[in-house]
Amino acid sequence: MLSRLADNLYWFGRYLQRAENTARLINVNTILSMDLPRRVELGWEPLVDLVGAHGLFAQLYEANGEDDVVRFLSVDDRNPGSILSSLHHAREALRTTRDYMPSEVWERVNDMFFYVQDKGERSLGRARRHVFLESILDCTLGIHGLLAFNMSHDVGFHFLGMGANLEQADMTTRILDARSTRAIPAEDGASFEAVEWMSVLRSLTADQTYRRHVRSRVAGTSVTRFLLQNREFPRSVACCLLRIGATLPQLPPDEAVERELQRTLLMVQNVVLEGLTGPSLKQTMDEIQKGLLSLNQALSSAFFRS
Amino acid sequence: MDWRLYRSHAYDELLEGAGEPRAAARPLVEYLTGLTAAELAARRLASELTIKAMGITFTVYTDGRNVDRAWPFDILPRVIPRAEWERTQAALKQRVMALNCFIQDVYTDQKIVKDRVFPKELLADSRNYRPQCAGVKPKGGVWAHVCGSDLVRDRDGTLYVLEDNLRVPSGVSYMIENRMVTKRVFPELFETTTILPVDDYPAQLYETLAGLSPRPGEVPLVVLLTPGVYNSAYFEHAYLARQTGVELVEGSDLFVADDDCCYMRTIYGPKRVDVVYRRIDDLFLDPEAFNPESLVGVPGLMRAWTRGNVALANAPGAGVADDKVVYAFVPDMIRYYLDQHPILPNVPSYLCYRETDRAHVLEKLQDLVVKPANESGGYGILIGPKSTRAEREKFRELIQADPRNYMAQPVITLSTAPTLTDDGLEPRHLDLRPFILSRDEPYVTTGGLTRVALVKGSLVVNSSQGGGSKDTWVVDVEDTA
Repeated sequence: MLSRLADNLYWFGRYLQRAENTARLINVNTILSMDLPRRVELGWEPLVDLVGAHGLFAQLYEANGEDDVVRFLSVDDRNPGSILSSLHHAREALRTTRDYMPSEVWERVNDMFFYVQDKGERSLGRARRHVFLESILDCTLGIHGLLAFNMSHDVGFHFLGMGANLEQADMTTRILDARSTRAIPAEDGASFEAVEWMSVLRSLTADQTYRRHVRSRVAGTSVTRFLLQNREFPRSVACCLLRIGATLPQLPPDEAVERELQRTLLMVQNVVLEGLTGPSLKQTMDEIQKGLLSLNQALSSAFFRS
Repeated sequence: MDWRLYRSHAYDELLEGAGEPRAAARPLVEYLTGLTAAELAARRLASELTIKAMGITFTVYTDGRNVDRAWPFDILPRVIPRAEWERTQAALKQRVMALNCFIQDVYTDQKIVKDRVFPKELLADSRNYRPQCAGVKPKGGVWAHVCGSDLVRDRDGTLYVLEDNLRVPSGVSYMIENRMVTKRVFPELFETTTILPVDDYPAQLYETLAGLSPRPGEVPLVVLLTPGVYNSAYFEHAYLARQTGVELVEGSDLFVADDDCCYMRTIYGPKRVDVVYRRIDDLFLDPEAFNPESLVGVPGLMRAWTRGNVALANAPGAGVADDKVVYAFVPDMIRYYLDQHPILPNVPSYLCYRETDRAHVLEKLQDLVVKPANESGGYGILIGPKSTRAEREKFRELIQADPRNYMAQPVITLSTAPTLTDDGLEPRHLDLRPFILSRDEPYVTTGGLTRVALVKGSLVVNSSQGGGSKDTWVVDVEDTA
């Protein structure tokens, strides 16, 4: 397989996953804001920090209210991480891999891109936002379905899957990270902690699975443990890394990739969760993100830059 | 359908006039007679849906955006009797064989110049002569492995060769796809007529390319080099790569190492490439040898090729014979190299570097088509009868300033075939581009790509300028009575 083709498939997987996660984040924050008492102000800016776009956002927008943040994250093509930009990049990566994929994948990505481009601006208000974001989620899941059942599970499929898994692992750590820096202050003795951790689970569609696995009330330590170390839930960091590990034997062997993967996986599995809050949680997530970055670089120099 | 109102002012490929079909087209015309306008419209709709579903597109660059457009296709096929086609095939093989001899000669001994059959000064001024190719002897003496020649038929029925495209001719994928569409739209017709198949081409192309490998005995690594997704022919590049099973690569996928061999970057590390079917123009092929600004080429590719470590199809420099002034000498080349009589004639040509021809051209500008020697795609042409006085004055100056670069031909009233328009069946002008593969046993496609000017009265068949295409049938005429 051509290195360029593998590279494009990998990034297609990443961008598609990024678009989906971003849509989910906006959706969940909208729902959370409805759960909180009216006098409690829910900040939207943390979402911008979460995707690492603080500087750009401050440069482009004067205010930081709900409307601006939602626009910036969904349809603003000046934000390289917006849903629209992610779909644009996914589409460009797909152009040269079109022959490799089931043709319906190209059609869906195309449709979704034009949907966001043409309808996005008018769908940002709360009344339409939910339907708009749900269509994006439906569409990305539909594409994963096409890939799972209509695409040959060959080496190209593995590159795509590695991209999607690495992106998901990254996004899951970011969501945990964001929670670590932002807690809505307790009011009149009533803490919003449970509601907030619930929304963390929801933004990763983990709420049902969590309940079945954990069988206790929603609390910080157990949620963090579940999203970091669960080996079966597809959006947990450990599960994503294990899935990448499972595909490596089908690719040309590379020591650096193997080493970076094992190192990061060990780090994730060995995190001591008791007492992990605020700054220490943030620091741990930063370490894991650095591990993911090294893994990305190792993959790139092993397979894409020969 | 009623043919009584159908009138062509040119030679019509299907009808002899007054609704009388030519022998080869009789079953088709009779079948069409039995269809109502509504039935025909339904078939047209079916073809449009098929083309969309099959994703047959070509890319147009407009307003700074690349747009994939559905391939414009007319559902009514053009029919050629087999006997006529066999003669044409022989003529094309003869022609391309002579052209390859010419190119090899030009880059080595230049015997044809020494024997005063071909004027030395034309060579010196040729824009497509590449000094970098001098002395190279590609395998089997073949330079133009894939050639697309344009054939036109004049009012009296004579078939002429209008030009030979020896650089990166395109269109063959549409020839194959057109047949796929027709099979879906008119399946019944294949029961009553013996239509020779066209889908052998990809296998023949692969064989031609694989045969060029500098490492015989091993399974050759063959790649198709494309400028990328924004090229107007990208659909064809991807199509041919898929159909032949060769790797579709861009310049950045290849590199030439210190051992002067060409390699492809894969996830398994570098793999040595044996044959490059390049769909990039000479000047962009290798920034070391040609245009240093080229971003789509492969640095060092010429080095690898001249050392014989990689085969290039078509060979760089083959375009020297793809010049509208050189074209006029092809019949002489056939006589000189092959000692044969040319089977198909050229369109009569006046070469402006010759004094008597130039005088004639300047006097008759209004009746002639004037062409620059090295442009393609219909650019920079003067069509005398449709020109304004100012345009003619401009060309008069251009010709006098650079006579070598201009030639002129009489206007050919291209033949027509019935085409489905919004006003029913009407004659539209067309040409034919067959593709010729050169190797020990040359191969010619069965028929070729028929391009049709969809605009009433227009003689311009280019797809970028409102042209479409038709399926081309070579048929066995069983009943000649």
